[in-house]
This record gives sequence, C-alpha cells and structure tokens, in this order.
Amino acid sequence: MHRQFDRSFDSLSALYEFAEKALMAHDIGEAVRFPIHLAMEELFTNMVKYHPDGDLEIGVDLDVEDGLVTVTLTESGVDEFDVTRPREIDTTASLEARRPGGLGLFLIQHIVDTLEYDYRDKRSTVVFTKRSGN
Amino acid sequence: MFEIAYGSDGEIICRGRLDAAQCEKAQSFMDLVEGPKTLDFMYLEYISSAGLGILLKTQKRLTESGAALRIINVNNHIYDVFRYSGFHAIFDISARE
Repeated sequence: MHRQFDRSFDSLSALYEFAEKALMAHDIGEAVRFPIHLAMEELFTNMVKYHPDGDLEIGVDLDVEDGLVTVTLTESGVDEFDVTRPREIDTTASLEARRPGGLGLFLIQHIVDTLEYDYRDKRSTVVFTKRSGN
Repeated sequence: MFEIAYGSDGEIICRGRLDAAQCEKAQSFMDLVEGPKTLDFMYLEYISSAGLGILLKTQKRLTESGAALRIINVNNHIYDVFRYSGFHAIFDISARE
C-alpha cells in the first residue's frame, strides 16, 4: 500500500490509520503493530522537524509478505540525514543529566529488525522491517 | 485522540495516543502541575519520544522542588519504551495488572 502525506505533524493521525488498516488486513498482532507505529512516527516526525523546506509530501509504503512487514518512507528536496546513525543516549544517566531530544531515532534501533538509509539526488529513502511471526 | 485531565482523587488520567501532534496539549497541562502527582496510564495506548520528552521535562522541574511524578497502570508496550529509554530508572513506574 502506498500513500502520500503532507509534511506536517497534523498528518500523524492519517498515518496511523493508514498503517493500522494495512496491518490489520494481514492480522498483524498488537505486539508488532505498536513498534511499527512508533518507528513510523519517529521517522516521519524526524522528516517534518529537520527538513521543513523539503517537498510538501512524504511518501509511505507498507507491505506485508510472508509475515515480514516492510515500511518505506521517501522524501525529496532534502539534505542528507542518515537515521541509522542516531546520537548516543546514555540511558543510565541521572535525571539531572538527562536532556530531552534524540530519543526517537535511538528507540528505533531497539524496536525494528532492520533499518536502512539511502540518499541520492536530494532524495532520502528510509526502509525498516519488522518480522510479525504470522 | 488524546485526552488528559484530573481524576476524582487528584490523579492525572491520560487517555488515547500521545504522539507528536498531541504534545502541545499535554505540555500545556503538565506545565501547570505542581507537587507530587500520579499519572494514570490505564487508558493510554501509545506514547512516542515526543511524549517522553514532556514527561522528562516535567520530572526535572518537579524534582527541583522535591516532588516527582509516579506513573501507574502502564501497558506492556509503553513499559518497553520506558525500559529502552532508561526511564524506568528515573520514574516510579508500575505496570498494568
């Protein structure tokens, strides 16, 4: 399934509904849907926050084949931003030492099975997979 | 959909999905919170890093005055997010039974 979304936080509700419909159609359980929704939001909001001058729409593809969920997010007119290299977060730091920010990309590393980034001709493509076990 | 409001016992009840689009609503509410408070996540289905940022900011502000947030009835998926983030060490969190 493919859909284009406006580059805006206001698109998150539609993004959730798009993914939920596709995943439910394949009987993907909540234990897998939750991390997929989380990874999609983190990657999408990253594009909204850091590339406000990119092309208006962000493309999202979600496919399920043999129990493997593959999600692809594509944006054009942007600078390179390799999401597979998040900044280090010290999760053992004290409350006083913790600073907001940077957690999203860090979290993705824990909740998806694979994460790949490609950049060419001002176009970023992010692909992640999650095995459903179905 | 995301809702945040005080319950009858003074606890803060969160409901729905706390994503980046809902952060302004959540932040506006939490900025007015004073003293120790319990956040009830019984009806919270989802939270992303944007929501975690609000919790962290509020916890840091409250601890400066000797108070803190306690979070109860956390579902398994949100608990995993807390654990990956290391938030289980800086919040008093109890899982949903």
